[in-house]
Amino acid sequence: MLLLPLLALISLPLALALSNDQTQEQLVKLAEAGNGIIKVDDRTFDLLTAPKRDWSVTIVFTALDPRRKCGPCKEFQPSYNTVAKAWTKVPTTERNKHFFAIVDFDESMTVFQKLGLQSAPVVHVYPALEGPHKPASGRTSHITYDFGNGYDAEPLAEQLSQHTPVPIPYSPPIDWTKYGTFLGIALIAVTTLRFISPVLKSRWTWAIITILTTLIMTSGYMFTRIRGVPYSGGGGQWIAGGYQNQYGQETQVIAMIYGLLGSAFLMLTMVTPYQTSPGRQKAQIWLWNIVIFIMFSVLISIFRVKNRGYPFKLLL
Amino acid sequence: MAGPKSSSAAAAKSTTPSSTSSSLTPATSNAVHTLWKAYNEATSSRLKTIDAFLVFLMLSGIAQFLYCALVTNFPFNAFLAGFGSCVGQFVLTASLRSQVNPENRAEFKEVSPERAFADFALGSIVLHFFVYNFLG
Amino acid sequence: MLQAFWNWFDPTAWYPLGRVVGGTIYPGLMATSGVIYNILHALHLPVDIRNICVLLAPGFSALTAWSTYMFTKEMKDESAGLLAAAFIGIVPGYISRSVAGSYDNEAIAIFLLMFTFFCWIKALKTGSAFFGTLAALFYFYMVAAWGGYAFITNMIPLHSLVLIIMGRFSSRLYVAYSSWYAVGTLSSMQVPFVGFQPVSTSEHMAALGVFGLLQIIAFAELVRSHLSSKQFQTLLLASVIGLGVLGALGFVGLTYKGWIAPWTGRFYSLWDTGYAKKYIPIIASVSEHQPTAWPSFFMDLHFLIFLFPAGVVMCFNKLRDEHIFVILYAVVASYFAGVMVRLMLTLTPVVCVAAAIAFSSLLDTYIDPIEPESIVEGQPEGDVAGAVDSKKAKKTAPQPTSTALGDIVSKFSSSSKPSRPHGIFGLNTRLIVILNAIGMLIFFVLHCTWVTSNAYSSPSVVLASSNPDGSQHIIDDFREAYYWLRQNTPENAVVMSWWDYGYQIAGMADRPTLVDNNTWNNTHIATVGKAMSSTEEVAYPILRKHDVDYVLIIFGGLLGYSGDDINKFLWMVRIAQGVWPDEIQEPNYFTRQGEYRVDEAAPPTMKNSLMYKMSYYRFSELFGGNQAMDRVRSQQMPKTGPTLDYLDEAFTSENWIVRIYQVKKEDLLGRDLKTANAFAQGKKRKRTKPPVRRRAV
Repeated sequence: MLLLPLLALISLPLALALSNDQTQEQLVKLAEAGNGIIKVDDRTFDLLTAPKRDWSVTIVFTALDPRRKCGPCKEFQPSYNTVAKAWTKVPTTERNKHFFAIVDFDESMTVFQKLGLQSAPVVHVYPALEGPHKPASGRTSHITYDFGNGYDAEPLAEQLSQHTPVPIPYSPPIDWTKYGTFLGIALIAVTTLRFISPVLKSRWTWAIITILTTLIMTSGYMFTRIRGVPYSGGGGQWIAGGYQNQYGQETQVIAMIYGLLGSAFLMLTMVTPYQTSPGRQKAQIWLWNIVIFIMFSVLISIFRVKNRGYPFKLLL
Repeated sequence: MAGPKSSSAAAAKSTTPSSTSSSLTPATSNAVHTLWKAYNEATSSRLKTIDAFLVFLMLSGIAQFLYCALVTNFPFNAFLAGFGSCVGQFVLTASLRSQVNPENRAEFKEVSPERAFADFALGSIVLHFFVYNFLG
Repeated sequence: MLQAFWNWFDPTAWYPLGRVVGGTIYPGLMATSGVIYNILHALHLPVDIRNICVLLAPGFSALTAWSTYMFTKEMKDESAGLLAAAFIGIVPGYISRSVAGSYDNEAIAIFLLMFTFFCWIKALKTGSAFFGTLAALFYFYMVAAWGGYAFITNMIPLHSLVLIIMGRFSSRLYVAYSSWYAVGTLSSMQVPFVGFQPVSTSEHMAALGVFGLLQIIAFAELVRSHLSSKQFQTLLLASVIGLGVLGALGFVGLTYKGWIAPWTGRFYSLWDTGYAKKYIPIIASVSEHQPTAWPSFFMDLHFLIFLFPAGVVMCFNKLRDEHIFVILYAVVASYFAGVMVRLMLTLTPVVCVAAAIAFSSLLDTYIDPIEPESIVEGQPEGDVAGAVDSKKAKKTAPQPTSTALGDIVSKFSSSSKPSRPHGIFGLNTRLIVILNAIGMLIFFVLHCTWVTSNAYSSPSVVLASSNPDGSQHIIDDFREAYYWLRQNTPENAVVMSWWDYGYQIAGMADRPTLVDNNTWNNTHIATVGKAMSSTEEVAYPILRKHDVDYVLIIFGGLLGYSGDDINKFLWMVRIAQGVWPDEIQEPNYFTRQGEYRVDEAAPPTMKNSLMYKMSYYRFSELFGGNQAMDRVRSQQMPKTGPTLDYLDEAFTSENWIVRIYQVKKEDLLGRDLKTANAFAQGKKRKRTKPPVRRRAV
C-alpha cells in the first residue's frame, strides 16, 4: 500500500525534470518559430526565467510601437536581430542552452511592471541556475547590458559572448560601400594621373592641403569628433558655454577667422609690396590692417564668451 | 650596353645553340666586368682604401649576423653592440668617402676633406664609447 | 653612485609589489639635477638641492629660447630667430610646464627637443657628420629624459622619407641621417628603461626602415654614377622601389608574427581615439589625455595661432630642405595637439618658429626704408595722353595686370622672379602696419602675463579662494592631512588612496602607498577601485589582505572643490569593471533614469559603496539640523548619513577636503565587525532559533 505514494514521490522529481525538458523543448520550438528570437508574453517569461533552468536567456525589453516614440529602441532592434540571427548558426547542442527573447511593452506590460523598468531599451541576461553553464561566480541575478558603446551589433555580440556557452559567431558585414568608393577613387586616380600630376607636383596644392589641415586641427575639430558633440546647441546657440567644451559650428567659425587673419598677414607681406601704384598699395594696406584689427577683436570677444574671467578686449 | 650585349648574345648563340639562359651569364659577367673596369679607373687610391675598409666592415657584420641567426642570440646586448659597431662604422666611413670624393665638392661646401676626417674621427670615438658601454 | 640609482628598488611604492625604480624611470632629469648640484658644490657654492630642482625648469627654458633662436636662424635669419626666442620665452603653452617648481620631465625635454632638431637641420644643411653625431648625443640625452622621444624618433625619418619622395636625395642627407641613426640608436639603448625597444617595437621601425632605404638609394646612386645606360638606370630605380616595398612588407610580417611589438596603447590611442576608453580606461581617465577644445589653443598661444598658418605658407614659398621639416612638424603637431591636451607642449615650439618667420617677414617689409621707384606713375599718364593708343599701350606695357586677383595669381605662379620691383610707398603706410604689429606684440605680452599669473602660477597642493570681503583665503587641507599622517601614524603604516595622490603621499607623508601616479600595474589599480566601489563587507578582506592601515579620500562637497573622488568615482568603477566584470557593473551606480546621483535617489549599490560612505560619513551633522548640501554635485543629502562598521574616522581636514580613515583590525572575539558594532551600540542580536523550552520531567 505504501508503494503507490512511494512511486508518486519518486516520480515527482522525474516529472519535474521531464517538465524541465519539456519547457526547454517548448522554448526551442518558440525560438525556431520566431527566427531565433522568442516573442515573450507573461507566460513565456515565467518559462524563460524558470527557477530550475540550465539555460541562459538574453532578453531585450523594448517598445517598438510608434506611439511610444522610442527612437533608441528602433535604432537598437536591427543590431539585436543580427546578433540573435548569428546565434542561430551555432550547432544545436550549444544553441539550445541560450535563448534570445524580446519583450515589447505593449504586449506584456505586466512584465515591465514586475521588473520595475521605466526606460527602454534594456537588455538583461539571465544566467543559468543549474547545470554545466552555471556561472562560476555563483551569480544568480541578471546582468544588465551597458549601452555605453552605442547601439551597434559588434559591442553587443562581444559583451554577450561573455555570458553565452560559446562565443556568438558574429562577423560584421563587409562594408561594400567603403571598398567600392576606395576602389573607384583609386581607378580614377590611376587613369587621370597624367593630367593631375602637375597639380600634385605643384607645391601650392600641398600648401592648401597643409594649411587647411592645420586650421581645422587647431580649431578643435578632433575634440568634436572624439566627444561627438552636436553641431550646435539647442535653441540656436552656437557657442557652448564652458571652457573645455565646443560645438561643431564653432570649429568652422574659428577656422574661418584664423584663415582670414592669416591671409591678411600674407597679403600685407607678399602681395601689397608688389603693388606698383602707390595709391592702390596704400588702400590695400589700410584695408588689411582694418581687417586684422576687426577680426582680432571678434576673436577676443568670442573668447570672452568662453572664458568669462578674461579681462582684455579690443573693440567689441 | 646594347651593343656588347647583342654581340655577345649572338656569339653565345653561334657557339652554344642549346638554351637561351646561358646567353645571360656572359652578358651579366660582361656588365660586371665593365663596371669593375670603370670603377678601377675612376677611383683614386685614397677612395679605394676606404672602400676596402667598407668591404671588411660589411663582411664582419654579415658574419656576426649569421652567428646570431644560426647559433644563438644570447647575450643580445653583446650582439647589438658588435653589430651596431659594424653598421655605425660602415655608415661613418661611407659618409667620409662621399665627403672626400672630389666629385662631391659642390655638395659639401662647408665641409673640407680635413674637416670630414675630423668629423669621422669624432663620430667613431663616440660610437665606440657607446659600443664599449653596451658590450657588458 | 650611478649604480645605486640603477639598482634602486622601492618597497614602499605599490605595496606589496614594490617598484623597480632604476628600470622604470627616465633618469635624465634627476641626473641633470645631480650633475648641477655636484658642479656647484665643487665650486664651493652650497646651493640646496631643493633650490636646484625648483629653479631647474626656468634655467632650462632660457636654453630652450636660445635653441629656438638657433633653429629659426637656420630657417630664415637672425631677426626671425630673435622673435622666435622671445615668443617661446613667454608663451603660456610652454610656461605651463616650465614655471619654477614644476620639476617634471618636460622641463628639460623641450630644450633637448629643439636642440636636437637644430643639430639635425644643421647636419642636413652642411652635410657634416659632426652635427649628426651631436644630434645623436642630444637625442640620447632626450631618450634619457622623456618618453616623448618617440616624437623625434619618427619626425626625422618622416622628414628624410619626404625628401626622398620629393626627389631631394643628396649625399648630405645620407651623411646626416646615417650618422644620427647609427650613433643615436646605439646610445639610446643604454637607458635601461628603453633597453632593446629600438629594434623590437613598432614605434622605432620607421627609423630603421628609412635607414635601410637610404643605404639602398646611396648604393644605387654610387653604381649609377659609374654606368651610363638609361635602361640600367630605370632597372636600378625599379629594384630600389621593389626592395623598399619588400622591406616594408617584411616589417608588417614580423609584426604579425610577434617579433616586433605593436604600437603601445599610449601611442596607438593617438590614432584610434576610441581605443583607450574601451580597452585601457586608465589612459582615457587622465585629464591631460582629453582632446583639446579651441579655447585651450587660443589661451596657450594667443595671436601666434593665426600667424602660424601664414608662416607655413612662407615656408612653402621658399621650400628648402629645412622648410619641409617645419611644414611636416607643423602638420603632425597640430593633429597631436588636437587629440590630447598634454601634447600642446610639442605644438608650441613650431608655432613660435612659424609665427616668428611670418612676423619678421612682415617687419622686414615695412621697416625697410627703401622706397621703390614709382616708374608706373609716369608711363600710364603718358599713354593716356596718347588717347587713341592708350588701350593698346596698356596691353603692350610691361607692367603687371590691373586686378588684385591677377596680382595674387602672378605672385604665386612666378614666385621666383626677383626682378619685379617691390617695396612700400610712403611713411604713413609703414607707420600703420608697424603700429599694428607693435600693438599686437604688447597685447601678447599682457595676455601671457595674465594667463601665467592666473592659470599657471598656482601650486596644486595649496588652493586659494577669495573671502566675501575680497581678501585671499588659503586652503591648505592637503598639506595639513599629509603632515598629520606623517606625525601621527607609525612609519610603516600603509595608506590606500586613488592613484592621483600616490606621489604626494609618498613625498609629503612619507608612507607606503598601494598605487601611485606611475600607473604601471592596471590590476593593482583595479583592486583599489574595486575596494572603493564595493560594500564594506567585500572591501574589508581586500584591505586586510594588502595590510592597509589607512584609507585616504578627497571630498569636495563642503567647499565646492570639484576635483574630488566622488567625481572621479566612475573611473574607479570602470577600471575595476575591466578586471572584474561580473562583480562590478557601471550601470548599477546610476539611477534607473541613467543619472549620477548622490542624494536619496542614489541606487543602493552607490549608497553602500565604500567611497560614498567615507565621503559622506557625518556630513549631515555639519549643517545643524538642516539638510546637508553637496556643493559640487548641487544635491541635497538625506538627513541620516551613512554608517561605517569596518573603518574608523581618523582625521578630517579643516575644510573636509581630505578625510583619512583607519581600518579596524579583526574583532578579538571573532565576530564580524558589523555585529560587533551593533552590540556596542546596544542593539540586541535577532534570535534565529526559538528559545529552548525545558520540559518538566
